[in-house]
Amino acid sequence: MTLRDNIVIRARDLVKIYRKKSQDPVRALDTLNLEVGQGEIFGLLGRNGAGKTTLLRILSTLIEPTSGTAEVCGWDVVKEPYRVRQSICAVLQENAVEIFLSVLDNLGTYGRFHSIPRRQISARAEAVMAQFGLEEYRHQKVIDLSGGLKRRVQVAKVFMVDKPVVFLDEATTGMDPVNKRATLDAIREHARQGRTILLTTHILQEAEELCDRIAIVDHGRCIVTGDLDMIKSMATRAYDVNVTFERMSPEILETARTFPLLKLRTTPTTLEMSVKGSDVSTFALLDALSRVATIVHFEVTSASLEDVFLELLGTKDQGGTKGEAP
Amino acid sequence: MRMILAVMYREYRIRTTSMTWLFYDMFMPLTYLLIFGIGFESAVTGGISMGGEQLGYNAFFLAGVLSMASFGIAINTAYGFFVDRDNGIFYEFLTYPMTRAEFLIGKILFNSLLALVQATVTIAIGGTLLGLPIHWERMGLVAVGQVLGTTGWFFFLTTFAIRIRRNDMFNTFINVAYFLLMFGSSMFYPVETLPRWLQTVSLINPLTWHTDVLRYATIGAGSAQSVLLEGAAFVAFLAVAFALAVQTIRNPLRT
Repeated sequence: MTLRDNIVIRARDLVKIYRKKSQDPVRALDTLNLEVGQGEIFGLLGRNGAGKTTLLRILSTLIEPTSGTAEVCGWDVVKEPYRVRQSICAVLQENAVEIFLSVLDNLGTYGRFHSIPRRQISARAEAVMAQFGLEEYRHQKVIDLSGGLKRRVQVAKVFMVDKPVVFLDEATTGMDPVNKRATLDAIREHARQGRTILLTTHILQEAEELCDRIAIVDHGRCIVTGDLDMIKSMATRAYDVNVTFERMSPEILETARTFPLLKLRTTPTTLEMSVKGSDVSTFALLDALSRVATIVHFEVTSASLEDVFLELLGTKDQGGTKGEAP
Repeated sequence: MRMILAVMYREYRIRTTSMTWLFYDMFMPLTYLLIFGIGFESAVTGGISMGGEQLGYNAFFLAGVLSMASFGIAINTAYGFFVDRDNGIFYEFLTYPMTRAEFLIGKILFNSLLALVQATVTIAIGGTLLGLPIHWERMGLVAVGQVLGTTGWFFFLTTFAIRIRRNDMFNTFINVAYFLLMFGSSMFYPVETLPRWLQTVSLINPLTWHTDVLRYATIGAGSAQSVLLEGAAFVAFLAVAFALAVQTIRNPLRT
């Protein structure tokens, strides 16, 4: 299958409506459009129930869309699901491990399912276990491992194989920082080799660090898509303003609260604020604060992805998509 | 074929992690014959009258044990869907590079092999120890009966295992199905001795068709004509069950 424009994942006007007896229909995806290029690490961000997992389920052929089309590596997910499955591997949101098998057997059976030659399975399993710190657990049954280790086994599996597209649904959830780092490194390495990674995460720092492009999904639509700089610039010039005082006082907080801030956090001596450039003059804010207390230090930086996320979603209806996808 | 073998390999690896499972798989039907069968043989002193022929209870019950074993394997495999679903691996399987039919066929081929081993152990040891009048020349038909029987029951139960989300609900369903299908069949007693209404229930019960084919194959009881008809009916049941199972597994999340 020849790819047009190097686009590996394409969704057009994708709609998914969940219908359950005696419940109102849930419109999980609402004419969602998306394109992901080869070798990209693409992040899907959004609130719970925004439609991210539904999108991954459609792209991995677990469910069919109500309308619209989706392609992976040029194959239509409804008309050619088998071809799609030949092109992907997926870490789903739920833990997915063979609890009665050992770590080594988990990797081995996964390799067989993905047609890795038998003589290569052992070497690949060793490499993956070393990468994810699973060597000492190799002969332990997964049922005896902790939740974090189970997740590690699940994520390690997808790095056994060389499928062109990898779906990761909150893959690092429950992992300790060391293994989270190993996972992020593995993701980067595999993207460098030309694999396309589509991931969802609630850890925005992770997305900021990892993703080439990001889409923010809300109410089943991509409300913003682009690289990090572009998304930040779209987000109406938001800034982080950190102001340090000799000591914190109620007057400082009261003064800060008279401004329409996106975020306000306090430490014993510092106010951490995010402001939208069009709403708040940073100078006016600093001026007002300097009238009620002595400013020791201040710092103005462009907003983090978290600020942008909060701004884009926080100003909209907080309800999210009604109901949860099954 | 590679995917079917991968599914079979996975089933084999899981099965061999527990000695209890292995014992259950290999010897449980034989144990049934040796305990329940001998107990009833002692109680029913005159034997069982079937088509004008007198049979020892264990000879009659052998086919019932084999069909029960098939049904039992199918139940265990269907429960496996719940275990796999609880562990998330079921949905991951469905993203693997195989068709839904390959997934089901791989599972059923492994379980059919298991049913064949069970039948071999039961007939060889049980038949020899108890001196049952086995028609050894019809063992090929027994093998076909066991494979088709296990397959039919597996597909039948798969549809329910995937559609019913709650473990306790499925448990109830299995208990009711087990009770109605087993006691409303020719597994434990000849159909012709039953009251009319229960005869009707038995005659439309696929477990009766399955058991009757096995009874003809193991001890030669019953007429070839009626067994042929019952065999054809069971194959039709299997085809419908397969179609329903594949249709169900195409939309596993019931969206």
